[in-house]
Amino acid sequence: MAGAASAAAAAGVTDMADKEMKIGAALAAATCSLLGTATPGVSIAADAEPKWDVESAFLYYGESDDRVNDLSLSAHATRDFGDERTLGLDLSVDSLTGASPSGAIASGGAQTFTSPSGRETYRTPAGEIPLDDTFLDTRFALNGSWSQPLARLYTVNAGLGFSSEYDYQHIGANFGLTRDFNQRNTTLSAALAYAQDTVKPVGGIPLPLAQMTDVVDDDVSPGNRGDGSDTKNVLDVLLGVTQVLGRHSVLRVNLSYSDSSGYLTDPYKILSVVDPVTGDLIGRTPAPGASGPTGVYLHESRPDSRRKEALYAELRHDFSGKVLQVGYRYSTDDWEVDSHTVESRLRLPFGSSSYLEPHVRYYQQTAASFYRYSLANVTPLPGFASADARLSEMNALTFGLKYGHVNAGGNEWNARLELYRQTAKAPNEVLIGNQIGNAQMPDFDAVILQFGYHFKL
Amino acid sequence: MGGPCEVLAEVADETEARKITESVAACAWRVENKFSRYRSDNIVARINTAGGKPVEVDVETANLLDFAALMHRLSDGLFDITSGVLRKAWTFDGGRRLPTQSGIDALLPLVGWSKVRWVRPMIALSPGMEIDFGGIGKEYAVDQATQLAAQMSSAAVLVNFGGDLAVTRSRKENRAWRVGIESIDAGDRRAAMLVDLAAGALSTSGDTYRYVESEGRRLSHILDPRTGWPVNGAPRSVTVAAPTCTNAGMLTTLAMLRGPGAEAFLESEGVRHWVQRGT
Amino acid sequence: MRKLILFVLACAALEGCASLGVQPWEREVLARDDMQLDTNALDTAFDDHIYFSKEGTSGGRGFGGGGCGCN
Repeated sequence: MAGAASAAAAAGVTDMADKEMKIGAALAAATCSLLGTATPGVSIAADAEPKWDVESAFLYYGESDDRVNDLSLSAHATRDFGDERTLGLDLSVDSLTGASPSGAIASGGAQTFTSPSGRETYRTPAGEIPLDDTFLDTRFALNGSWSQPLARLYTVNAGLGFSSEYDYQHIGANFGLTRDFNQRNTTLSAALAYAQDTVKPVGGIPLPLAQMTDVVDDDVSPGNRGDGSDTKNVLDVLLGVTQVLGRHSVLRVNLSYSDSSGYLTDPYKILSVVDPVTGDLIGRTPAPGASGPTGVYLHESRPDSRRKEALYAELRHDFSGKVLQVGYRYSTDDWEVDSHTVESRLRLPFGSSSYLEPHVRYYQQTAASFYRYSLANVTPLPGFASADARLSEMNALTFGLKYGHVNAGGNEWNARLELYRQTAKAPNEVLIGNQIGNAQMPDFDAVILQFGYHFKL
Repeated sequence: MGGPCEVLAEVADETEARKITESVAACAWRVENKFSRYRSDNIVARINTAGGKPVEVDVETANLLDFAALMHRLSDGLFDITSGVLRKAWTFDGGRRLPTQSGIDALLPLVGWSKVRWVRPMIALSPGMEIDFGGIGKEYAVDQATQLAAQMSSAAVLVNFGGDLAVTRSRKENRAWRVGIESIDAGDRRAAMLVDLAAGALSTSGDTYRYVESEGRRLSHILDPRTGWPVNGAPRSVTVAAPTCTNAGMLTTLAMLRGPGAEAFLESEGVRHWVQRGT
Repeated sequence: MRKLILFVLACAALEGCASLGVQPWEREVLARDDMQLDTNALDTAFDDHIYFSKEGTSGGRGFGGGGCGCN
């Protein structure tokens, strides 16, 4: 009896299940014959608006002459929480290898230097610009930001950033407000950022303009060092206007002010001391039994404050699907580094889902007031001096091309190749004696290769 | 079509856009004129006034009747194109006038597809019965118009008849069409949901504009043909994505007719759907 | 620099009153992804980082992602 009852019950359940059977297939077939179309093979692609938007990329940066190489992996993700509330996350990992110019000048003879740790030496052949081995160093950076409407026409945003590498740590916060006018054709924005960086160089913080010493034993501190670490604070203020100029154009103008204070010197950069008349390197021999520098080299010293002002303008204009972007930045500061940057990109769609985007950038700057090619062997020494080519008179040119393709799922693959050439010049005022006309600046070329994937989840 | 109709065509040329739009409009009017129950000079009028005598129908009408018959069977009688007569009892104008049970009882004998004699190409209704293509006509028109647009142009075109829409293909650079589904709060002008449609169709069924209020509750305009009363516990709005608008429209109607079981029904059908229920 | 700032601010103020701009229904081009000022965000971040460590000037465009032991 129990068996029959349960069989009947099972049959009853099966009947119910049949009734609940999906009608989807029969309905689809019926509509197809109604409409006289072939059954669509491809399934529907209808999704509620994707919430996550992720750009990820792998980048290689390589300089000429075996100088710096950098491999970088980055992701930039935004998450839409509806009602125009957005979360932004940035994560990047960099791996840096190679050597960069130390600031010392090339000489007719080979040179030996003590490494930043003070424990070993390295040698530069005659006639070559001295490079010091940048440590194999990995840097992690993480940024988060949040943006949401505050009231009608007002948006507020805030962010936190953190980065860390072997000898350097950065932590920063930013806060901003925007307000729309003229039916959202004009947007004013104001933002503030504050960062505190800690630098803990290998070997400790060198005393300003202290001389490079011989190699010391492990348990002895090189005599030319101060504290193990120091800090730097940066305050940034930004005021911006975004203005719609027409159906096809938009303009952005930013005014920014930046105030850095604290330890702004590069602890690894040095200057060569030369004869005040001939401009030739002053020779030196290490102490008996020790190894050390073959010349007189001083650690650089920069002021402990830097105030910068910049004006930036960017225009985007659409020409029936092609977009031209032109940007200009003028910057001036109290180190007397004034610069002009002009940059342009042109996005050219082709086919139904690809684009090419050529890019060009020109940069030029004046030398810092305390930039020196080398230091004359006189007293008193200047208060501040640096031979870092990045503070010299210089210009740079970039040419690049980017290719992108959007696949059927709406996600984009892209690849970018950029070629960069930097040319520095030592103004005649900083050249001494035989250096005039013979200055060797650490110019370089670099190639940037990037592969990226932009997708939505 | 019961609402504003629009055509979005991703073309560079105004002439081409105009051509596509005019063809789509012509298609829409053709379908509306042919199948509207408000006209007295079309095939539907002839069928509804034949007084019991058989009427011969053309191929297109026959196809729609076959489709309606199949839907009646697949939905266990929930979908029924003879239920239109019940409108004589109901006025969905947002007011509070409810019909009497006796009024509905008088009409129920005139409802029921099983009472229709349909043997292709002849259809005969009992006197007093009516067929109403309102439940499939608009979606069918969207599909016809979209097919027409696809034949006329390789550009991406979106055809939208009052919220029932279909696209011929995805837009340039493989981008999807972004469609907003209206919120059930009539005062909320922002979309409740934004949908990326790269292919196929969307159909929405809802009570934002057509409803009756009873004891503070909004009664859907979807009537259960077996009882004559609005479906109990129907969602306020159902949107379904499917390869064709007719397909999508049928699924939204069936979902609404399932009342509280709308979501479960759509889940088991495995289609992308969005259901909005009021508080 | 002061004069330049005043000039830019004056332009901005004037612009606010000018009839520059579009109606909300004319924004279809401006709404495109490639017309947004933050397109290519990752490229810009990479570039800014490279130029920050190889040149004497940085910033101007916006904030975010500063800080490294390279300048």
